[in-house]
Amino acid sequence: MLDGQSLVGKEISGCEILTKVAEGGMGAVFKARHKALNRIVCVKILSPSLANDKKAVSLFLTEARAIAELDHPNIVNVYNVGKEQGYYFIVMSFVEGQTLSAMLKKERVLPIGRVLDLFDGVLKGLSVAHEKGIIHRDIKPSNILITPEGSPKIVDFGIAKKVDKEKGSTKTTELAGTAYFIAPEQALGKDIDTRADLYSIGASMYYVLTGHFPYNGKNTIEIIQKHINEPVPNPAKLRSDLPGWLGLTIQKLMSKNPDDRFSTAKEVYMHFAKMRAEEQLRVKNMHGRATVDLGVESALKISNEQALSTTSKNLPASEAYRAALAKQTQPGRSKQVTQMPKLDDLAAAVAEVPPKSAPPLAPTMELVPEKNLQQTTVPAPTATVSAIREPKPIAKIIAKLLILLPVFLGFSALVGYVFFSLGQICSAYVSDSAGFFSNLLAPLMAGKTLPNQLFYSALALVMLAAIFASSAIKAFARTTAMLLALAFASYLAGVFTPEIKFFDASNMFNYLFSPEYYLCYLVPAAAWTVSLCWRLNRKLTERVLAMALIILSCTLAYCASSLTILPDLNALSTKILFAGAVLFALLAVYYISAKAERSIILPTICFLVALSCFWLYNISGLATRTQTTLNTLVSVIPMPDADAAQKESAQSQDDYLNISRPGIFKAIGSSKAINFLPEEKKDAMLTEYLDQYAGELLPQEQYPFFIHLLKTYYLYGPSKTSLKIWDYAASYPVENFNKNAQTNNAYFFLVMLLFTMAALNCVGGILFKEDDL
Amino acid sequence: MSTFDIEFAAVTDIGKIREKNEDNVLISSDLGLGVVADGMGGHSAGEIASSIAVSVLAETIRKINTETLKIPETFLPKLAPTERKLLMAANLANAAIYSTAQSSEIYKMMGTTLTGVLFDKDCAIAVHVGDSRLYLLRDGKIIQITTDHSLAMEHVRRGLLSKADADKSKIQNVLTRAMGIKKNIEFDLLKFPIKEGDVMVLCSDGLYKGLTEEAIAELLTQDKDFPIVKTCKHLVRQSNEKDGQDNISAVLIKILPAQKLTFGQRMRRFFRRNK
Repeated sequence: MLDGQSLVGKEISGCEILTKVAEGGMGAVFKARHKALNRIVCVKILSPSLANDKKAVSLFLTEARAIAELDHPNIVNVYNVGKEQGYYFIVMSFVEGQTLSAMLKKERVLPIGRVLDLFDGVLKGLSVAHEKGIIHRDIKPSNILITPEGSPKIVDFGIAKKVDKEKGSTKTTELAGTAYFIAPEQALGKDIDTRADLYSIGASMYYVLTGHFPYNGKNTIEIIQKHINEPVPNPAKLRSDLPGWLGLTIQKLMSKNPDDRFSTAKEVYMHFAKMRAEEQLRVKNMHGRATVDLGVESALKISNEQALSTTSKNLPASEAYRAALAKQTQPGRSKQVTQMPKLDDLAAAVAEVPPKSAPPLAPTMELVPEKNLQQTTVPAPTATVSAIREPKPIAKIIAKLLILLPVFLGFSALVGYVFFSLGQICSAYVSDSAGFFSNLLAPLMAGKTLPNQLFYSALALVMLAAIFASSAIKAFARTTAMLLALAFASYLAGVFTPEIKFFDASNMFNYLFSPEYYLCYLVPAAAWTVSLCWRLNRKLTERVLAMALIILSCTLAYCASSLTILPDLNALSTKILFAGAVLFALLAVYYISAKAERSIILPTICFLVALSCFWLYNISGLATRTQTTLNTLVSVIPMPDADAAQKESAQSQDDYLNISRPGIFKAIGSSKAINFLPEEKKDAMLTEYLDQYAGELLPQEQYPFFIHLLKTYYLYGPSKTSLKIWDYAASYPVENFNKNAQTNNAYFFLVMLLFTMAALNCVGGILFKEDDL
Repeated sequence: MSTFDIEFAAVTDIGKIREKNEDNVLISSDLGLGVVADGMGGHSAGEIASSIAVSVLAETIRKINTETLKIPETFLPKLAPTERKLLMAANLANAAIYSTAQSSEIYKMMGTTLTGVLFDKDCAIAVHVGDSRLYLLRDGKIIQITTDHSLAMEHVRRGLLSKADADKSKIQNVLTRAMGIKKNIEFDLLKFPIKEGDVMVLCSDGLYKGLTEEAIAELLTQDKDFPIVKTCKHLVRQSNEKDGQDNISAVLIKILPAQKLTFGQRMRRFFRRNK
């Protein structure tokens, strides 16, 4: 047995074993003293498991002898090979010093000239070995020793590895060669020649120069497959002072196809020598007469411009390299794509259940002919483990439905009622003149409480907590959002339609096709659409559903906002709006149906933009008409300019107040007399004017709105006013909703819609498991 | 136990040139289990790894069945009980091999493949790591259920190598996954329904190097009326004649219709189950 400790102190081939230096799967390396020569040597002992194989041993000896013949300063010398005491051994010179990878770790960045010097030596040594037909198979920075004098020595010619490979049938989890530097043909297990070593030289240079491996990955397989498959990275991207020719040379060395590489190691170091000579010459010319030694980093760190000129001067060569690279990477890859394995088909008839959740394999029909389908439960294409397991007994599901559903219905009705009652109480704060949101906030701003308000508020909070708590129950888990929406809608119903009884559905059917109800439909439809858009890996059915919902929502948005006034078809902007609406709706449909998952945000944005465009298109008629009315009013009402006295008084007031914002506007705005009046006088004056000039044209109830617009107009000018008009028009359908809800129960319709959907969700939660959907 | 009657047979052979057999097989109609393990590496300990694998696997399943060993609740709770049982056993076997391999120089670097099938009602659950294989012959068609965890097959899966090239490749002996190499490894767990007349073959790589898939299918169909022990021997002998460079092992499993039980047998089974 190869026990590291048992060998220490023994003598093999006249060498006294001192200490173990390293151990791998193939054997161990010891530091030893050659007694006769009194010299420290290195003894490598082959693992006894390989020693049993005659073929392996003969290969081992042949190759070791061949290396022994190589007498080169850049290759570790082999003194003796043989068998003693049942051990196959190699005696080699012991090299003091460190490996290239250790040196790199210590010094971080090596000067380019120094790297070239080192690899020049490595290539020379390798060239000699290659001439003898010896392939190293595992060139990497840690197999290059740097002596204290700074010259490189290649160690660990793949003797044991070669033996192992030839044996072929010995199972192993180690690949001959190191994943980070392995040549593609070696990684594919093809026959290799000396050019595989050149690839590893290229990969090693890449690493030594940039400090990064050419390919990286989660595991060895991934790295190996990148060597086989991915385009050759450009080292110049990682190191700016890298001369262009060197980057291209490394890329050429790392070509996937051995035919695209240099053919021999000699060719490579000759090429290096030639390029360095050229560069030196160039540098010499640049710097006058001064000779620059390229062994020093500063020499190559010329300047960016010069580095650029280097590449541009070498253009013909680099073009050739690029072409060569392109030639060999492109077809290679396409070929690989067409060679799809048949293996998946074969393994398909089983549902794979790896410990981690992996995508299920699609079963084939081959295994289970149709007539036998009833007897064997073949998992459905999308089903995972759960589908193969026994289905839930129906009785259990029915029992669950019978118990959980009524509980849910009762609970949601209670939620609705509590929030409705709270809304009813708070409806006291609602004022007709205030907007939608200020009415909602009014109860909080009031500063005083009504009877029962506190009680119901507390109750509502409890309900909210209960809604969130209920999500812990599996069957109710998916209804949380729905219940929250239901609570909110019930509150709105209470606030804005307090006179209608809770859940009054009396005259709903008369209004099913009114704009207010369309708005109700729009709320869940749009919410559902957004939730579908906002999901990764949509299935085909989901795509179809989402497309249908997008179209439905757009139609509903159109209907809900359509007023009795036609859109302003004359204006170009309206046409653009309409075109935009259609375009964005189509885009949303496209993004949702496109197979490639681009983004989850894109379809959502397109969908929302389409909705708002439809909205704006429809209200443009109202906005234009309001604008026209206002313009007419402004033109017919003769508004006197402010006189000097008024201005002066305002001026003095402003001085006194240290200039307020309205003051500035007054100064720069049109200085009409009205701007200098106190608020109540303004209203009186404008009412008088309206009576006088537009009494028959303008209905009395629209006075306040136009007075407001006129005041804005005189103070801030037309642009601010038109903004206000659009604002008004855009929110008109919603305000109209509030008004009409008094008669058509629209709020309760919304509540019932949400109630039904929540109930459906709940049923779904009971019937289906999360992963079925 | 199963709703079918299941017959097992196992044969292992050293092959023509190997000096020892590193394969191990185990069948137990009691547990409804068939396993093949193909040991590797170590200085001479491949057979130790494979024997630990099969024995620990079977012993763990037995212990779980008799409730002398409990599966921790946190161990893959989403899987079905039988799946958990098999995975738990495989994990323990891996841990046993790994700790043995770490314990001594002699065992260092040893490892093994493992392919096992456990039957549960009308399902077969396979656990798999390495390059041993599980084939299923159904209605005259053979399919390979497991996927080899070898570098060559990994290349085939990504389309980098054709299957024909992979069979000739020098790297087909390089495994990407094996038991005993790491403390925690990932097992493939495969579950599929079985039906009457199914024949399953668990085999080490020695067998399929000598016999192609088609040859195995043909042989099994030819021999379908013979006792399966005979068929199993026939398989191994054929492969050995064709190749024989490696140890050859095969476990053959046949699914038969459940036999009608006598009243006494039924009572005995009833009580055994409730024990």
